[in-house]
Formats: sequence, C-alpha cells, structure tokens
Amino acid sequence: MSSELKITEVKHRFNTEVLLSGEVDIYTSQMLKEKLYGILDDTKQDMLINCEGLTYIDSTGLGIFVGVLKKAKQYGKGIRISKLKENIKKLFLITGLDKLFVILD
Amino acid sequence: MAKKVEKIELALPFKAEYVSVARLTASGIAARMGFDIESVEDIKVALSEVCNKLVSAGSKSSDRYVIDFIIHSSKIEILINFEDRRLAGLFGTNGDELGISIIEALMDTFKVSTDDSNTLSMSKEIKGKI
Repeated sequence: MSSELKITEVKHRFNTEVLLSGEVDIYTSQMLKEKLYGILDDTKQDMLINCEGLTYIDSTGLGIFVGVLKKAKQYGKGIRISKLKENIKKLFLITGLDKLFVILD
Repeated sequence: MAKKVEKIELALPFKAEYVSVARLTASGIAARMGFDIESVEDIKVALSEVCNKLVSAGSKSSDRYVIDFIIHSSKIEILINFEDRRLAGLFGTNGDELGISIIEALMDTFKVSTDDSNTLSMSKEIKGKI
C-alpha cells in the first residue's frame, strides 16, 4: 500500500541521509522513532531527513522530529530536513517548527 | 439552489491502525464536495489529530467512537461523538498544544461540547461558494 511508511538509510562520509516515503501517522510513528533514534545512536553523525516521498505527517510524527533533534543536540550534531511537500511545509509553519529546524528545498 | 444536507457516519475502534480510515473517508467526502486539494488535506490532517488524541487516551466506557460527516451545500461539518466524558478534557487548554494548534489553524471552527452529549465539532467552508 502506498501509504505505508518506508525508511531508507544512506550513509555518507560526514552525515547520514534518511529517506522517508509514505505516511507518518499515529500507527507508523513508533517505527519512525525507533529507526531515527537507532541511526543517531549508531552513527552519532549529522542527519539529513529527505522527505521527498513523504506524503503525510501528523503531530505525533512532528513530535518525533523534535525528539530526534534534541537527541542529536546531545551528541553535538544537527538535523536538517529537505524536500518537504507544500502540505507538510504548511504544518511546520503553523506549529513554528520551521524556526527550530534547518529546512532545505 | 439549496442542496439537501446529507450525513455519513463512520464508527471506528479506538485503535491507531484505523485512523487512516478516518483520513481516507474525510478526503473522499471533501473531494466529492468540491474542496480544493489544499483544503482536502487540511480536513484530513485536522480530523486525524482528533482521532489521534482519542485513540491515544482510549476509552473505558465504549469500544468505538463515531464520526459524522455532515455535508452542507457550501461547508463540511464533522462531529466526533464519544461516550467517555473524560475524553473531552483532552481538547482543553491543558491538552497537547501541537495537535490543537494544527486543528485550529486548519479548520474554520473547532468546538468541544460536554453538556448532554460529548461531541467535538469542526467545520470548514468551501472557498468561493456562498
């Protein structure tokens, strides 16, 4: 089903790129949390979350992004978010999270 | 010309895996009514936020909550009914702000009623329609 969440990890020399596709909602958000936290703990690198294939996210998913950012900061690292679709960028603006994250086009 | 008001009901268990069903239903109805893509998305997101809260809290007095989609000629009204009065508190000022701020920003109205029925209601007008 296209709405399923797929998480793909691509290791680069100085950061880890995580490609998200599908939907992040209350059902899939726990999987996202475990995966992103796990990647940070393993790599202790900066993370680029590529949202090109992400079609939907709710407040539970946004909350996980915030948690991941806090965790990255504990390691002295950062999180950048790229290729947000307009409908999702709107949620970042409404919630003020656009000011918390580095958002790339 | 005034169109007859129609109602579609959806009863869902308090389970996370069925929130997507509410979302898909909302998007189907809103698109059918003539909302633009952005507004369809707004309605989906707002309804999901309500369902998320209900599902996260769960209910002791019932195993389902009921969503009524009321189709007016130029607006959609969504009523979410739950037996458990305690659940209304989830949407008060002490609730999770992220979800509430999203709902309030995306819908035209958002109200919680705890008088005789425990119902949440929200509505959105179709842009450009009178």
